[in-house]
Order: sequence, then C-alpha cells, then structure tokens
Amino acid sequence: MKDRIMLRNRLCTINPGVSPEDVIVAFPFDLAPEGDVKTDGFVAVTTSDVYVYEKDVLMLRLKSADIDEYIFSNGVGCVFAECVTNGVHRLLCRATMAQRDLISSIIWQLNRRMERSTYSYAYEEETDVKCPNCGRRYPPDSHVCPHCTAKKGYIKRVWEIAKPYRYFILASVLLYFISAGVQLLPAYLNKLLIDNYIQAEGAFERSASADFIIGFIGVILSLLGVNILTRLIGIVRGVTLIEAGTRMMVSLRSMVFDKIQRLSVSKISKRTAGELMNRVTDDTNQLQNFIMNDIGGFFEQMLIFLAVSVIIIAYDWRLAVLILIPVPIVIFANRAFHKFMHRVFHRQWVMNSRANTILHDIFSGIRVVKAYGSERREMERYDEATKNECEAQIRAESFFAKFSPLMSFLMGLGEFFLLYYVGTKILSHEMTLGDMQLFTTYVSIIYGPLRWLSNFPRRYERTMTSIVKIFDIIDEDVDVADKKDAVDMKIEGKIEFHDVSFGYDSGNNVLHGINLTVEPGDFVGIVGRSGVGKSTLINLVMRLYDVDDGSITIDGVDIRDISQSSLRSQIGVVLQETFLFSGTVYDNIAYAKPDATRDEVLAAAKLAGAHSFIMKMPDAYNTRVGERGHTLSGGERQRIAIARALLHDPRILILDEATASLDTETEKQIQDALQILSKNRTTLAIAHRLSTLRNATKLIVLDKGTVAEVGTHDELMRRGGIYYGLVMAQRQMSKMSAGA
Amino acid sequence: MTELKTTALSDVVSITYITKDNASFRRDGDFLSLRVTLPESVGFDGEPLGGEKYYERIYLHRSFPYEHLYEYISVLDRDSVEIGIISDINDFDPETSEMLRRELDRKYFAPVIKKILSVKERYGYSYWETIAEDGNRMSFTVRDTFRSILKVTPEHVFITDNDSNRYEIRNTDELDRKSYKKIELYL
Repeated sequence: MKDRIMLRNRLCTINPGVSPEDVIVAFPFDLAPEGDVKTDGFVAVTTSDVYVYEKDVLMLRLKSADIDEYIFSNGVGCVFAECVTNGVHRLLCRATMAQRDLISSIIWQLNRRMERSTYSYAYEEETDVKCPNCGRRYPPDSHVCPHCTAKKGYIKRVWEIAKPYRYFILASVLLYFISAGVQLLPAYLNKLLIDNYIQAEGAFERSASADFIIGFIGVILSLLGVNILTRLIGIVRGVTLIEAGTRMMVSLRSMVFDKIQRLSVSKISKRTAGELMNRVTDDTNQLQNFIMNDIGGFFEQMLIFLAVSVIIIAYDWRLAVLILIPVPIVIFANRAFHKFMHRVFHRQWVMNSRANTILHDIFSGIRVVKAYGSERREMERYDEATKNECEAQIRAESFFAKFSPLMSFLMGLGEFFLLYYVGTKILSHEMTLGDMQLFTTYVSIIYGPLRWLSNFPRRYERTMTSIVKIFDIIDEDVDVADKKDAVDMKIEGKIEFHDVSFGYDSGNNVLHGINLTVEPGDFVGIVGRSGVGKSTLINLVMRLYDVDDGSITIDGVDIRDISQSSLRSQIGVVLQETFLFSGTVYDNIAYAKPDATRDEVLAAAKLAGAHSFIMKMPDAYNTRVGERGHTLSGGERQRIAIARALLHDPRILILDEATASLDTETEKQIQDALQILSKNRTTLAIAHRLSTLRNATKLIVLDKGTVAEVGTHDELMRRGGIYYGLVMAQRQMSKMSAGA
Repeated sequence: MTELKTTALSDVVSITYITKDNASFRRDGDFLSLRVTLPESVGFDGEPLGGEKYYERIYLHRSFPYEHLYEYISVLDRDSVEIGIISDINDFDPETSEMLRRELDRKYFAPVIKKILSVKERYGYSYWETIAEDGNRMSFTVRDTFRSILKVTPEHVFITDNDSNRYEIRNTDELDRKSYKKIELYL
C-alpha cells in the first residue's frame, strides 16, 4: 500500500493534471523495456488513462477506454505487463521476478475491474513483503526476515520449547561446572604427593611414622576419590543430558512434523522429500547434540581455562606470560587451519556425493543401462568420478597429515618454555619438583579448552542454522487453514462451483470462471485433453488447494467453512498411481478406517475384487507390501485402493484415472466394483478412456481451463462438439488397434 | 539376405518449421505478430490444421536456453500451443532476424556478474554483493545455495535467487582471484 500511495503522489506531482482520487492503482517496475538495464519506473492506471513513466519521463500514455485487455506474461528471469488496444499489443513494463506476484495480481484485478467495475487491494498484504528493517524481501511464503531475525529471539524460543526439561539442562550445566573443578584437583594432589612425601626433606627418616603414612596414603586415596567422583559425575551428567536432549528432540521433531502435515500440498511440494526429512531428522539431531555436548561443554571448558589461568598467574605472573604467549598464535593458527581443512574436506565431500549420485543413478536404472548396452559408458563415468574423489581425498588427507602434527607441536611449545623456566627456578631452589609437575599438567590442560573453544563458534553457527531452518518451517504460513469457526458437518453431496479461478503460480491460471453444479448421487465424468485442469478441479474439491477467486460449496456451505478433517473424512479417493504404505495388505485397506472390523475389511476387499488375489498369496492379508514388501501388479494395487475407498464409505467419491493403467479385463471387473461403489454417492470421475464414463449422469468437458460443454453422453454426441471429437478419435484408435 | 528397411523417425513425426519461405514476422505495437502458411492436415479432434494463419501476438521460447540462444526457437501462440520451430533465426532476412533476436533477448533476463564483493552465509541463506557487467551493484539473497547454482559447464554458472531472478557467470575462471575464492566452495 505504501508503494501505491507513494507512486500516486509522485504521479500527481509530475503530472498536476491528475487528481489522486482518479488513480486506481500505481505500481513500480525496475527493468528497461530492452537490454540488461535496470531502471526506475512506474505504471499508473487512472479512471481515464494509463501512464508509464521511466525516471519520471512519460514513456507511454493510453486511454483507459481503448484498452480491451491487460495481459501478464512470464519471461525467463523477468515478467511483462502488457495491454491490448484495438488489437495491438503494447508493453506497459518489464520487471524482475521480485515484482512478479504484485504485477500479476494487479493485472488480474484490472481485467476483473473491466468486467465488474470492482478493484480489490487484498493482494497487497501478500505481495508487499519487505523487511522493514533491512529492506530485503522476505523469502517466498514467509513473513520472517532471516537476515534480521535476532539470534536471541530464536534462543528464547528454543528455551521455551526446552521448558519441561530446563531443570535437567541446568543440572547438567552445574555438573559440568563441578567436573571442571574436580578435573583440576589431581594436579594439585600430585604436587602434594611429590613435595610433601616423595621429595620432601627427610622423607626417608619420617617414612616410618604413622603421620607420614596416613598422610601419604590419604593423598593417594584422595586421588582415587577424585577419579571415582569424576566418573560418577560423568555418569549422572550423561544420563541427565540424554533424558533432556532426547525428549526435547522428540518434541521438536513432532512439532516440525505436525507443522509439515498441516501445510498445503502446494507448499509441501515446493520442497523435496529429502529436504523435509532433513528438517525433521538432521536439524533436530544437530540441536540435540548441541544441547547434550556443547552447552555444558562450553561452561566446563571456559571454567577450566579461566581457573588454570588464574592459578598460574597467582603463582607466578612471569610464568603465566610464558605459558600464555603462544595462546593467540595457537588460536589464530587453529582457526586458519580449520578454515582450510573445511575447504579441502568440503571438496572431498562434494566429489564423494557426486560419485554416489552416479552410482545411485546407475543402480536405480540398471535395466535401462543393460537394455541399451551402455555398461562401459557408465563404467567410465563412474571411474572419472571416483578418480576425482580420490584426488580430492589425497589432497585433503595429506594436508591433514602434514599440518595436524604441526598444530600439535605449536600447542606443545609452551611446555618447552616452562621446562626451561621452572628448571632454572628449581636449580635456584625457588620452586620444587612438585611445582614443576603441577605446571606441566596445567599447561597440557590449558590448550584443550582453547582448541575446544576455538571450534565452538562453528558448532554454534551450524546449530543456529539448524534452528533457523526448523523455525522456518514452524513459522511458515498455513495457507489452507481451518477457520476458527469451521464446522463439522454431515455431507449430503451437492457440489457447486461459483465462478472459480485457480492457478498454481501467479499469472498462470489453470482454471478460470468455472461454474458447475453436481447433484447428490450424480456420477459426473470430467473429460478433456491432458493438462486442461481436470485433476486440479478435483484437488480443489478435496481442498488440497484454496481457490484464488470464487468459491466451492458443498450442500450450500463454502468448503473453507468446513473443517478439513470433517470434509476429507467424507471424501474417498482412488488415484491412478496407488501408494501403498509399508505394512500389510490388511493395514493398507484399513488405512481409511482404522477401527474397521476384520469382516468389514474382508467384505470391502471382496467387493473390490481384491479378495481372490490376496488369498492366492501365502500370507494372504498379512502379506507385507510397500517399500520392502511383496511387489503387487498395478491392477492389484488399484484394487486394494478401491477396497480402501469402499471401506471408507465416503459421501463423495473421487476417481482420478482409477482404471487407466489396467488391462481391459481387469478394468471391467473394477468398473463393476466402482459401479456398486458409486451408487447413492456423488462421484467425480476423470478418465481418458471415455468408454468408462458411459454410465455417467453428467459429463463435463473442460477446455482451456473453462467448462466448454456439459451434458449426458447422448446430448454431447448430438451436439458434435469437443466431446464428440474426442469420442470419434478414440473410436478410430480402437478400430485401428483392432485392425492391427 | 535382404536388408530390412526401418522407418526413420522423420517419416512418422514431422516438426513444423517456420522459415523465411512460409512465415513473415512483424512488429505490431511492442510485440511480434506472425503470418504463416503451414501444410494442411487434420488434427486429433478432426479440426482442420494448417493453411494460412495470422497470430497477433506470438511468444518465443528457446529449446536449448544454455546452448543455442538463437537456434531451435519454438514459436507459441497465446495458449502456449506451438505453432512451429525456427531452426536458426539467422536464416531470416537481417531485419527479421534482428527483430527475433531482440524479442528473445528481452524475454531472457539474467544479468552477468563480473565481480563478487562478498558472499555471506547465514542460517541457510547466503547474501551476495556483486558487481554487474554494467558496473551496477547487485545484492541478492539465495536460499539453499548449493542447489541454486546451476552449472551449465564447470565454468559457466547460473545463480537463482530467492525471487527466481537469475544471474550469470559466463566463466568462473575469468573472475578475479578474490571473487573466485568467494564462490569456489559452491562449485
């Protein structure tokens, strides 16, 4: 809206003849009509004229009354707004993809305005999606700017999720603290052992005294005690963390999974199955690892480092300087080393995944490879990939082999300074052998936390990335959502389309201006060429997507007012490609009605003509199917799907090419089953083989996204239109194949 | 032994070519119109096809957008139904071929990146600051960087941003060393 008002004012300033009230809409564009040239322009549509300004210079002015139509068209990497005046197509503007949704919505509204004299700005909410903070556009389908979202906000939300487990986490952090303290004790006890007993003056003479023996054994027992304590803390901490981390991961996983399930099909299909799996498993795992190992670890290592530093400084600041001098060098070298390691190992990883992809491809398509005799070619392709991987690996590993000892050497450098310094102090009797033992231990301890801490930012970033990706899904807008007052209702089966338009992307309407009425109990066949929108039509009835314009009602109620669970529980679907879940045949049939009795399942299978083939298998209804199970033929799977739909006993039955992949005999059997199934329920059926729709009470012929013909088979045949043409063509084909 | 003659693919399917002999393009308004005479035939539904036809607005689409920019150009009508294919726009007279070239160049927009100032990776998005061929600065955000970089050849890449805008790097080897280092990880 801001843009529109701003541009309206700009227009009125440049062109004082225009009054603000007359401006219907104004929108910016950023590309010159030709060439890779960016520009700053805007199009303004007023009640009387259309203006196109580029850098405030008028480029085009057309009379609104002369415009027959506005057109939005997609380029590749850019979009166009056009209009037609007296049969001539004029370019209004060209813009980058960032403006695609805005411009296509405006063009749509402008055309609508010509038909109905109304203009709605409702699209502005969806298309005006810039981050107020940095001015970057939000990622598609999101209202969160990933760039500006404060880390704090996310950490707070993770902490919220961790609420039930926060005492576990706090307890474990506390245990890490204690363990840090405990870890420093043995060095001191060793010093006591050496200075007061082993190397003490007159130790030999006093060694028989009871005091000496008790003290000596006491120190050793203390060492043992500390050791046991460390292990015990480790055990308790481990158990606490596993409890907290795992439970939290599980609740986070179910949150993500639940959200994914609630997203509409269009949003889900924008992401690959692999990506969604990653969100649910890998990213939550990353967070679990971080909570279990890194949060407590951070405090522990920090404390060890600080405590050791303080002890050394308090003891002898010169010694501390000697020990700590290499620290910045080590940190710097370590970071540089890791950065480079990341690069070379990443390369190796890329090469490895490339080789794996090739392998996966070849194995999945082994039949094609063999059929075309291209084994040698594939062999060469794989050889090439493994050769590259091998080179990358040699490079990475040999680098690691060369530089890793160097890093260890650098880290151990402080010890040599220490030996020299403490050695001279011992010779001059300023320090004891016990001191030397204490410091060598501390020096070896101090680099551990340093190394750990210098890698911590990387782990933290990686975890934050996972967290952001998780919230990216959790925060995604649910576009097909239940209204607050959505109702559960018993469906009779009257379906009506009122002026429905819909497109999967902006600017590409698949269906437009659809008006239809289907009476309860009707068997309606939907006919038309491929890609004409038949499946889209039924997807809309199932409300897998929401219509862009118009409405669909069932028994007079808008389907957006019916709760999705209520709606879908009364719709049964049989698709061309049947998906069987991993499980038994029985599970797959009962999927639609988990509380079905065995008798109901048997009856449904029998009716669907599935019973006989199921009984031919040794494990009958307990046969495992799906990914790792028994392979069923297309017809068998289809009959299981029909049994599933039968058991569901839906009010509305949808058949999308349910019998297309079957041979004629099987099809006949299934058709008979469907005939029974569709009795007394509203059925929408899509079929290419028109003979299967002969019994339809009504046929709807779609063409170019609109309803072209409606009627019974006989009516449409008499009419001699598109349906007639399709039937004739199919008859000719079957004659030809019969003759062949 | 008699040799069996197989049927060539071209005997069964014929591609309708749009050539200088059967077609004339004109620029009406800001777009191209086409008058074409195609061989007469009967369509699947029995409707007559071919003959002389006039299209007041046609759309051009590259068949091989990364390899052949001005060859194998599909000519479509407003319903995206293909009218025919132009083998090579240079087969037309210079004026027409220039017209077609302009139309194609206008439709495919992918500014060329000359220099990469920075690529910052943050939480699964990467933020790019680049300099275009014309010296302008281009900033864009890429989601899932690895998958958004298309390698036409190992050196010729296209980057697709959050909004589906495309950016081209014609030859990564010709980038300056600093720029190259910034994208090396993704190649």
